[in-house]
Amino acid sequence: MINKQTDRREFLKEIGIYAGSTAFLASIPWMKAFSQENGKNRAPSDRVRLAVIGVGSRGHALLLNLLEIENVAVVAVCDNYEPHYNRAIETTKGTAQAFYNHRKLLNEIKDLDAVVIATPLHEHAHITIDCLNAGLHVFCEKSMARTIQDSKSMVDTSHATGKILQIGQQRLFNPVYLDALERIRAGEIGQITQVRAFWHRNNDWRRPIPSPDLERKINWRLYKEYSGGLMTELASHQIQVANWFIDEIPTQVRGSGSICYWKDGREVYDQVALVYDYPNGAKCIYDSLISNKHYGLEEQIMGDKGTIEPELNRIYSENPPVSPGIKQLIHNLKSEVFEVIPIGGATWLPEVASFNNGNRIAQYDNNDTFLELAGFVKAVKAGKPYPNLLREGYHATIASLLGLQAMETNSIVNWPAEYVMGKES
Amino acid sequence: MKDITITASRLRKELIIFFICFVAAFGLNIYAIAKFETDWSEMLGQLHVVLAIAAAIYLIIALFRFIFIAFIRLNKKK
Repeated sequence: MINKQTDRREFLKEIGIYAGSTAFLASIPWMKAFSQENGKNRAPSDRVRLAVIGVGSRGHALLLNLLEIENVAVVAVCDNYEPHYNRAIETTKGTAQAFYNHRKLLNEIKDLDAVVIATPLHEHAHITIDCLNAGLHVFCEKSMARTIQDSKSMVDTSHATGKILQIGQQRLFNPVYLDALERIRAGEIGQITQVRAFWHRNNDWRRPIPSPDLERKINWRLYKEYSGGLMTELASHQIQVANWFIDEIPTQVRGSGSICYWKDGREVYDQVALVYDYPNGAKCIYDSLISNKHYGLEEQIMGDKGTIEPELNRIYSENPPVSPGIKQLIHNLKSEVFEVIPIGGATWLPEVASFNNGNRIAQYDNNDTFLELAGFVKAVKAGKPYPNLLREGYHATIASLLGLQAMETNSIVNWPAEYVMGKES
Repeated sequence: MKDITITASRLRKELIIFFICFVAAFGLNIYAIAKFETDWSEMLGQLHVVLAIAAAIYLIIALFRFIFIAFIRLNKKK
């Protein structure tokens, strides 16, 4: 079992030298790369020179994390929205050159190693492809692109140029998920037959706009031209987890979406419900809505021997250990004293949810966004991508977009063979 | 405010009463292990529960003792 440390540097070292099972490590080859020191004493010339393109809400968060990674120099930032542009200059204390246009950045900044892209979704593809063709490694936020074809073009360009393309799916680096995966591969919860995932919020998903003409620019997530809404912005994370844990990609998907609450001119659904079918008969049942937050978010990984809820960091056995005798005695006494006498007698008692509190999966104090960026920097230093990491991000994006297509066409959509990326050995 | 003195004999008396409560609770634990056929390691493993039960029994007895003594003293005053 991975022994988690709260110190990030120690964690990165430890998981790199973890001698887990071959099958487990084969699932996460990207973790082997952390076996080297983080390069505290490396020469300045060994620094990874990065640019960040898109420094809005998510981009700014990535920038703050990058500034904490040793031997990383953020030498340029880029955003075409003035307030974000100015904030990025302030955050980097003027050490990074600022641009409004990514092509100007690529032309003027020399000796760049990589870029981090966190623009609105519809911009991901062309900026990523430009950067890969310019000889740079790319970290691109999820989802990969607005369309399936654009996603494939990004992958094809990465393969053709030999440059790293890593997609921002941070759960792939999260210690709780990694520990959960290890337990699954060890058979602790048995055969997974269903993943039930959901993401519920209660807000209109809008950002404040200084003037009405900036509505589509700032609230791009609400418009089909720029975003797939709940599917590309939220579902993508959780379907990636389902694919990863089931160790398959779906064969088909069906679903239904609607704008049932936030009828404010938006074009994307404010509620989605889908079923993904996997080759072995397993299913991922997914829903997301933004009009109730009672249940929050979770991926419920259900096997015949147990259940894992990684967002809550809990694992539950189908057959939890029996309570100590004295506690059973107290419970029975309490039941007898406070027993409700049924009128007419019950012939059937409802099978309510288990009250088993389960066990914690892993100690986790880290920031998985930091871990995924640190992983990207490691890959850039090594000059080669992690096997099968891009595959996870790519398939998550394709699954989300196919789900959207299923809802929009009100049909069962099969996964096209040409959009399957094979596993690297 | 008056000083309260706990004499050695009073302390010994209360400890004996608590010990009796502990023995009763420990006996209850053994009974529960036998009845529900759980592991005998719970004799020590559930000591914290036994102590909690012993404390609860002690407090219930203390309550009755208090009521009894209060009743006696009220009658004496009459």
